[in-house]
Order: sequence, then C-alpha cells, then structure tokens
Amino acid sequence: MLQYLFAGLALGAIYAIASVALVATYVSSGVFNFALGSMAFTVARFYYFLNTESGWPILPSAVVSLGLFAPALGAVLYWLLFRHLRLRSPLIKVVATIGLSVALPPAVELVFGKLTNVTAPGLAPVPLKVFHPFGAAVNMDQIMTYLGLVVVLVLGIAVLQYTDLGLKVRALVDSEALTSLSGVNPTRVSLGVWAVSTVLTGLAGILLAPTAGLSVEGMTYLMAAAFAAVVAARLNGLATAVAVALAMGVVTTVIQRYLDPESALSAQIVPSIPFAFMLLALLYHAWRRRAGEPPAGGALDRAIRVAGGATGGPAPARRGLADPTLIASGVALLSVAALPLVLPEYWAGLTATGLALAIALLSYTLVTGEGGMIWLCQITFAGMGAVLSAELATYHGWPPLLAVFVGALLIVVVGAVIGLLTIRLGDLYVALVTLTFGLLVQTLLFTRDRFYNFGQGTAMPRPGFAEDTRVFSYLTLGTFLLLALLIVNLRRSTAGMAMRAVRWSEDGARTLGLSVVQMKLLVSALATYTAAVGGGFLAMNSQSSLPDSYNVFSGLVWLAVLVTVGSRSLMAALVAGLSFHLFPGVFQTYLPTGWAEVPVLLFGLGAVMVAKDPDGILAVHARQLRGLLARRGGGLPQPSGRPAQAALASGSPDSAVHQLTGGDR
Amino acid sequence: MSESEERMDCEAREGGAAPLLSVADLQVRYGPAQALFDVSFELAADTTLAVLGANGAGKSTLARALSGLVPPSGGRIRFDGRDITAKAPDVIRRAGLVHLPEGRGVFPALTVQENLRMGLAVDRADRKAALERAFSIFPVLAQRHRQRAGTLSGGEQQMLSLARALMVSPRLVIADELSLGLAPRLVDVVFENLQRAREAGVSVIMIEQFAHRALGFADRCLILQRGVVAWSGPAEAAGDELLHRYLGEGTAA
Amino acid sequence: MNAVSTSPVPAPPARLEAVGVTVRFGGLVALNKVDLRIPPGSMVGLVGPNGAGKSTLFAVLSGLLRPNEGRVLMGGGDVTRATPQARARRGLSRTFQRPELFSGLTVREHLVLGDRVRHSGDRIWRDLLTGGGFRRPSKEEDERVDRLLEALHLGGLQHREAAGLSLGAGRLVEVARALAVEPEVLLLDEPSSGLDMRETEELAATLRRVVEERGLSLLLVEHDVDLVLGMCDTVNVLDFGAMIRSGTPEEIRSDPAVRAAYLGEEPAPRDAEAKRDEEDA
Ligand SMILES: Nc1ncnc2c1ncn2[C@@H]1O[C@H](COP(=O)(O)OP(=O)(O)OP(=O)(O)O)[C@@H](O)[C@H]1O
Ligand SMILES: [Mg+2]
Repeated sequence: MLQYLFAGLALGAIYAIASVALVATYVSSGVFNFALGSMAFTVARFYYFLNTESGWPILPSAVVSLGLFAPALGAVLYWLLFRHLRLRSPLIKVVATIGLSVALPPAVELVFGKLTNVTAPGLAPVPLKVFHPFGAAVNMDQIMTYLGLVVVLVLGIAVLQYTDLGLKVRALVDSEALTSLSGVNPTRVSLGVWAVSTVLTGLAGILLAPTAGLSVEGMTYLMAAAFAAVVAARLNGLATAVAVALAMGVVTTVIQRYLDPESALSAQIVPSIPFAFMLLALLYHAWRRRAGEPPAGGALDRAIRVAGGATGGPAPARRGLADPTLIASGVALLSVAALPLVLPEYWAGLTATGLALAIALLSYTLVTGEGGMIWLCQITFAGMGAVLSAELATYHGWPPLLAVFVGALLIVVVGAVIGLLTIRLGDLYVALVTLTFGLLVQTLLFTRDRFYNFGQGTAMPRPGFAEDTRVFSYLTLGTFLLLALLIVNLRRSTAGMAMRAVRWSEDGARTLGLSVVQMKLLVSALATYTAAVGGGFLAMNSQSSLPDSYNVFSGLVWLAVLVTVGSRSLMAALVAGLSFHLFPGVFQTYLPTGWAEVPVLLFGLGAVMVAKDPDGILAVHARQLRGLLARRGGGLPQPSGRPAQAALASGSPDSAVHQLTGGDR
Repeated sequence: MSESEERMDCEAREGGAAPLLSVADLQVRYGPAQALFDVSFELAADTTLAVLGANGAGKSTLARALSGLVPPSGGRIRFDGRDITAKAPDVIRRAGLVHLPEGRGVFPALTVQENLRMGLAVDRADRKAALERAFSIFPVLAQRHRQRAGTLSGGEQQMLSLARALMVSPRLVIADELSLGLAPRLVDVVFENLQRAREAGVSVIMIEQFAHRALGFADRCLILQRGVVAWSGPAEAAGDELLHRYLGEGTAA
Repeated sequence: MNAVSTSPVPAPPARLEAVGVTVRFGGLVALNKVDLRIPPGSMVGLVGPNGAGKSTLFAVLSGLLRPNEGRVLMGGGDVTRATPQARARRGLSRTFQRPELFSGLTVREHLVLGDRVRHSGDRIWRDLLTGGGFRRPSKEEDERVDRLLEALHLGGLQHREAAGLSLGAGRLVEVARALAVEPEVLLLDEPSSGLDMRETEELAATLRRVVEERGLSLLLVEHDVDLVLGMCDTVNVLDFGAMIRSGTPEEIRSDPAVRAAYLGEEPAPRDAEAKRDEEDA
C-alpha cells in the first residue's frame, strides 16, 4: 500500500509542477494554455536528444534543456504568440493555443526526427537506485520528482513572499495599461512568467517521460490532469491546485492496485480519472456559483486599442446585391458546386467528405460565432448523430435521410441539457466542461462493442437516389445551403439579435425583458442539431458510422481550422470543411510521405495566426477586396480626413477605433 | 523618487525658464481616424492647467498621449528636460508623470490594499507613510482595505484611483474626469487634496466636465475642439462667453 | 421617513415600492430596512454619498439582487421573487451606472430590440419561424425607433456599433433602449455622468417630456445635485444604507443633516450658476 502511495505522490508531484505552470500563465496573461502538453513534449524531447541521442551526461543535459532551451522556447512563443492574445476574446485564446498544440509536435518531429521507441530516462542515472524506507520501494526517479516539487514550491513561495512580483503578475491580467501606468514594465513581467512557466512545463515533461513515455499522448494526459487540478482551484489558487494534483496522483495509482490491468474497464477508468475530478470540481463550483470569470483587460485597455493595419472603413450598414463580398461568396459557391463535376473520382470523394464536414462546422458558427459560447464537443454531437442515425437506418430500417434528420432531434436533448447545465459558467469553464463531456462520451460510449465494432462502427447506407458520389455531393451541398439559410434567417431575426444581446451583457438583456435561459437554450439546441446532422452526413458519406473519427482532439482541430478561416461567416464553414480534406489529399498524392505531417502543422500555424487576425482569413480578404474596389472605383484612398471628422463629430475618437477592432469575439 | 531623478529636479529648477512639459505639434490617430491635430502648449513647473472641451474633443486622447498609452503619430513631447515622445508608459511614470485615467482606474480583481501597493510600485521609499496618507485622505479605504476593488461602489473606486496618485509626490498629475460619479462633498475633498498636492510642488493637468470648478482651481486653461486647440490662455480670462461658445457645442447631431 | 410609507391617507398603489429592504454583503450592511415609493407619473430622486447603497437598491428593485429581508412591490403586487425579465415585462426598465450595452449591436439595433420586446411580448423568437430575418421591419417600428433616436440626438450614431461609443454616448443609448420598451417605471443610475453640459441639459429636457407625455414614473440617482433637485418632485437621501431624509427639493437642499452627509458646506460655483439659470427661466 505504502508503495502505491509513494508512486502516487511522485505522479501527483509531476501533475503539481505542471499545474503551477498552468496557473502562472493563466493568472498573468489570462491564457489557459491548451498547448501545455505539446510544450512539455518539446522540452522533454530536447532533453532526450541531448542526454540519450547525443550522449551528454545528465547534469549538463538538464541544465541546458531547462536553463536555456525551455526559457528560450517560452520567450519565443511569448513573442510570437502569447503577447498578442492578451486582449483577445476567450475563444481566440483557446483556439490559438490549440493551434500551437497541434503545430508544435510535427515541427519538433521535423527537427529531431520521429521517435519509435517512447521509453526515455528521467533525471536520475540509470539503472535506477532503489531505496526501502518503511519496507516499501522508492526509486531514484521518484525521489528526483519529490525534490523537483519541493524546489519549485520553496522558490515560488520565497519569490511571492518577499517580492511584489506576485502582485504585479495579478495586476497585469486585470489591466495591462494600468499596470504600465503604475510604472511596471508589462512586457518584462509577462516574458519572465512565460519563461519560468515553460521551464516548469518542461521539468514536468522530463519527469513524466520515464513512466508515461516520451510521446505527445503521454503529455496530453499530463495536461488533462493539470487542467483538472487548476479547475478545482478555480484557476488561481496555487495551494489548492498542488493539493488536488497530489491527490489525483495518489488516487490514480491506488485505483490501479484494485483494477485488473488487463481488463477493458481499467483501460477506460484510468484515463477518465482527471476528468472525473474536473467534473466534480466544476459541479461543486457551479453549485456554489463561483465559476464566473472577470473579462480580461480593463476598459482602459480596450479604449486605447488601435486597429492593426485594417484598410477598409467600418462595414456598411446595409449591403446591396452589388456588395463585393456577396459577389465573391456567389462565385465561390458556384466553383464549389462545379467541383464534383470536374474532379476525378478520388477528389470528388474528398469533396463530398469536406461538404459533409462543412455541415458539422456550421454548428460552431452557431454556438461560437453567434452565441459566443466556446463548446469543444461539437464533434461528439456529430459522432452521436452518426452512431444514432446508423443504428436507426441499419437496425430499425429507417430511410437514411429520415434517420439523419429525425435522429438528430434526439441528440438535441443532450445538447440542451448541456446548455442548461453550463448556463451560469464563465467561458473557459464552459470550454472545459464540454471538452470533458466529449472525452467521457468518447471513452465510455463510442467504445462500446455494439457501436464500436472493431472501429468499423455500424453500416450506414446512402439514400437510394444518391448512391453516386456526385449526386451525394449535391445532396450534401443542398443541405448545407438549407441550414446556412436558416442561420442567416436566425442571425437577422429578432431572436438572433436577442442572442447577441445576451452574449454581450446578460444584465442588460435580462432587465430589458429577454430571457437568457431561452436564448442560450435556443442556440445550443440549434447548434447541436446542426452538428448531429453533419455527423449523419459524414456517416452516409463513408457508409459507416466509424466512431473513431469523432475523437475530441480532432474536434479541436476542426475548431481551429474553422476559426482560422472565420468563425462567423457561413462561407468560412464551407471553405474550412473542404480544405480540411482536400489539403491533406494534395500532400498525400503529390508530395513525399515525410511531408504527411505538414498539413497538420499548417492547420496549427493557421490557428496560431488568429491571435493577430481574430476575424479569420476570409474577413481579412474581404476587407482587402473592399479596400481595393473602393480605391479602384475612384473613391479617395481613405487615410485621414473624412472618417476622423465623422468620428469626432459624433462621439469620442475611440469610437472609430472600436468600429475597426470590435469584431474579435 | 530616486536620487538621480532628484538631481534632475534640481537641474531643472536651476535652469529656471525650461517648462516642465512642452508639447509641440502633437498628432494622434487611432487607425485611420485622427483624434488630435497639431496640439501645442507648454506647462511651467508648479502650475495647473485645466483642459476643457465637449465630449469627443480629444481630451482623454491628449492625456493618453502624454502618458504614453497611445503613441503619437507626430510631434514632440518633452517632460522635465527629457524627450518622452513615444516612450513606454512605465518609463514615463518613472520619470514622475502620473496619469489617472478616465473612469475606474483600479485593478478590479485586486484588493484595495493591493491596488495601493501597485501605486507604490515605483516609489519604494516610505511605503508605510504613503499608505497612511492614502487612508487619511479617504478613510473609507482603510475600512475596506481587504475588499476587492471591483465590488466597491462607483465612487469608492474613483477615490481609490485618486488615492493612488495623491499618496506619492510625482512631478505632474494628469487627472482625467476626477469628479465623475463623486458626491458633491467628496468633490470638495478631492479639490482640497489637489490643492494640497499643488502646494507641495506637484503640477496638475485637470480634465474636467465642471468647467467653472476647474477654472476656479487652475492657473491656465486650454480648450480643445474636435482635436484642435481652440483657445488657450490664463484661467481668469476664460469667461462665460468663451465657455458657452466652445463647450455649449456638444455632440448633438 | 416612516411618515411617507405609513401615511394615513390611502395613496394610490405605487408603481414601484420597496418595503423594509435589507441587503448584507458578508458583514457589511449595504441597505438597512429601506422604504421607497414611486407613485405614478412622478419623478423621484435618490441621492447619497458614495457607497451609500443606491446602486444596490437599484439591483434589488430591478431583480438582479435578492434582498436578505424586505419586499418589492409593483402596482401593489409582490415581485420580490420575480426575475428581472418578469419585472421588465410588467413595465420596469433601468439603466446602469456603468453602461451595460450590447457591444456587438449597433445603436439602432439596441432600440429595435427594445421595441420588439415591447411589441411582441415573450414570443420574440416567433419571427424565426416565419422567416422574419428576410422581411423588412414594419413601418410603425421604424417610425418609433426614428423618433426615439431623434429625441436623444443619436441619429448620427445609429449605425455605429455600441462597442466604440464614448461614455456619454453610451449613456444616451442606454436611456434610449430603456425608453424603447415604453416602460411605466424607469430607473436611471447616474445618467448624466460622462455627459457634457449641453448633453445633460438635453437629456433632462427629454426626460421631462417623456414623463409628461407618457405618464412615466422616474427614479433618478445622480450626483449632479442641480439636476436632481431641479427635476424631481420628491428626493430621498440614503446614507450608510439607511434612508435618512425624504422630502421636496427645497427641504432637502436646506436640511443640515443632508448638507453634512452629502452636499458639503460650500455651495459649489456651479450652484450659483444653476440658480441664475432658474431665475432666467
Ligand atoms: N458584491 C459586493 N461585495 C461586497 N460589497 C459590496 C458589493 N457590492 C457593493 N458593495 C458595497 O456596498 C456598498 C453600497 O454600494 P453601492 O454600489 O450601492 O453604492 P452607491 O450608493 O451606488 O455609491 P456610488 O454613488 O459611489 O455609486 C458599498 O460600500 C460597496 O462597497
Ligand atoms: Mg452607484
């Protein structure tokens, strides 16, 4: 028993170090780092490169990895990415770090090569020395881990106790502008925090590698555990986070003692432990009504924000049919419609898949673009739609289309329940709850033998008239357009306006007589329905439910790609869906296999770029297009005079700024 | 204030004629919109300047440009013998210029006490005395020192913001709409304390909606209109007729 | 104070009434057994030092905060447990000390939304089913919104997103949005702070007009003493969470306790100016 306790404490200590890193960056910059696992992997991989592959002794390897490489990595990432995120909406923060987590591992593999053997040494010399205090075995790796945590805590407490650093860090997240007005250099503080936090992340990664393996998956699990600890600590309490992390480590190892390691049950339970912790903590906080978060950045920070390089003026209030963006959309739509006709079979197949995905992506456009809620489980709804419609069609003999459209209605109930449960939660908590929900469904439901069927899933026929890929493509495109039309209607109706109102100010909306519950339910229900229909079409496309393809982490990539293209535009969903499948197709067909990871890298980098251009690629191009046309159409290039006068005559100069920067949520 | 800065002080005073702040042809734009056009003025040490103007005239923008929050797109700013054009706000703050931003200049998630400590981040010497000074000006802050600033009432937040400037002795305070949301009696308290700071050698740039009150207090006056200096001169010379002409003209369409 | 709420003459039921409202935040008593009546068609002022509990009382009246003790009545009916939206539908509307605007909506959309809440009741999502997004708004609606925009001089800003408005413009939008639902009682929390002199005058004139035309009741929290005393029929003074006085503007202005707690001793220069204006009028 004692032995399990020692092992559990060691595991818990690693989680604790990672959660300290997570808290530090969240508290100082409001960024909840979804790339924690990838960053841990990167540093650990570098250590492995020095220590194992280049044969350096342990000490210099550790010093160089943790003393030079990790801080430099943190500083570079801060400079390239994190510093742009401070005033961004929670969605952009989440997406950009997801992008980083997607892009970093393939980049590391390109540089250091792919590892086939994931066993790696830790900070203790191999063979490991083993001690026997109180009759239980403790190895040197575990002792190094305890030491690591102790050093981190002692140093951390000393710094927080005897300097103003902790205060400055917390001040920074409240308002960067005000912090600098107080005479504190915000860049220096944030840079320092990111450097230190990357060192901690790397330390956790190196310590974890011997037991969990030097792989992104192993580190992802570390990240999940750190998330759970930090959520339990309501995102800011270091002491609680450390305590919960230790408890989680102990529970994990002790439970393993009672489980048959060969059974399927333990394969499901052990990875679910952090999520169970997270769920409990979230329920507890929600029940105590303490799970809100203040918006990042004070009013002052928003007031002084200047539009970055935007060329066009404010969007025109009412658009005619001659609006260039509308024309562009029309042209794009026509070319998409032509694709199935002109492309050969293989590419037409990819197009059909892309179109089906586009339907599912529309659900993000609804829930996130319109409703402003960060749901990370849309892919799970799509998976549920796929599984359920396949069940209905194959085992109950429903016509496939009926199964898809009616089956989706049943999934709506699940979405509505989640909508209700998360109504009072802050953005980030909503993201984490939905992520957890997705992971639980994935491990507990999709893997049931009945649905899983060795990864094949249940068969799902296409409708009789659309057996042919081309016809099916048009059926899918038609469905996409129908749903898109519904969304446009929603967006322009009173309900859509009310939905946006609720998103911006709940108090304002409630005292105006709008029901927050009604509006959030409406948007969750519609989004869930769309996702489930999208899943049904994906299943019809591949003629089987394929539950494996609805992995929550793939869903993060879906979201990242969509936001990269544009989270609010309907065309963006189409473009994102198609490029998600066509793009890797190009790489697979025309480039050497070594490049297979490159599309993933590019998707990740694209998402990282939203930190700078939160409206997405389409919006940027549309702006440029409008600017170009305005110039060519004889209109003056519009630098100074006119808009300035208009802004000044009718309010503060700030207003003009916000016109240009307001689209970031 | 650090030693080297103190030395700079002396030099500036010995120099005599050099103004504490001089602004030449200052221009500020937010993206494509220009908010200030060629604003120029000087402020001698130990003087108080009232900046007046209708909503949207660019008063807050002027304050932000001086304190480095928004970069000027043209012109020069010299403060205390140094060029501070386009310097970072923390550098300018350390040079002795304190900007109290409009609205709630507080860190909402920090407690009252922590907010005050942030106000002392640069002036390390004698923190205790400074804190006591803050509490004696606004006793309510002492009672609430552990409350989160975000849950203070609107006026209490305003007091906190002000206390952060009044408890240190900077060279220049830029006070943007200080009396906003303060009860009349507290407005009196605020002016009394500004007066006291002024007697201690602090210069003040005051941006105010209550024109008469500000003019009664200030030595000089600057009226902004749509980003341009419409009038400037001694405060006594800013008569009713003038105020009516420039301030009466609001944002009304 | 008690004289007001237990007056022997049976008064008509107040539009909005607080009875013995107490609110505690931890150990702090923010409101202590506060009574307040807003009769139909009247303008009631509420003044008091910073932190006296005015905004807290607003939160209780509008349903955002449930009081620890006491009741809130609308037209004689108990609404203490009613949600903010239920109260809004019974004709209560308010603005906030720090404007709660819908940043992504244009100024005009704020008013349109208010108008539709008023004219389609709790079925505002109905037009979703009827394809409302593709139809033009009705002519009457356009007119009502235009009139309101004009009354508050917001015409020039109507297509601007609320996110970028200055504090002053934001306040006017909030007032306009509150008026768009055609309320019976309107609660305004420091509407004039952040407005310049001209804007304040215009706002006061507009409010006077709506009260006259629509028989609206108004509760006004303000630190602009001249504005409150000049506009209101009765003024209540709150200090440390307790209602210390309630009376006509003249009584309040000359009350020594109020002077000590709130107004301060020296009459501000602006006082004199305001008096001059009154004489002129
Ligand atoms: N959530 C809260 N937690 C703790 N104290 C609070 C909270 N909200 C308000 N208070 C306190 O309650 C008191 C009353 O606040 P309130 O906002 O009602 O004052 P006010 O009269 O509106 O003042 P002002 O004129 O400055 O806006 C204040 O002392 C404030 O600090
Ligand atoms: Mg208040």
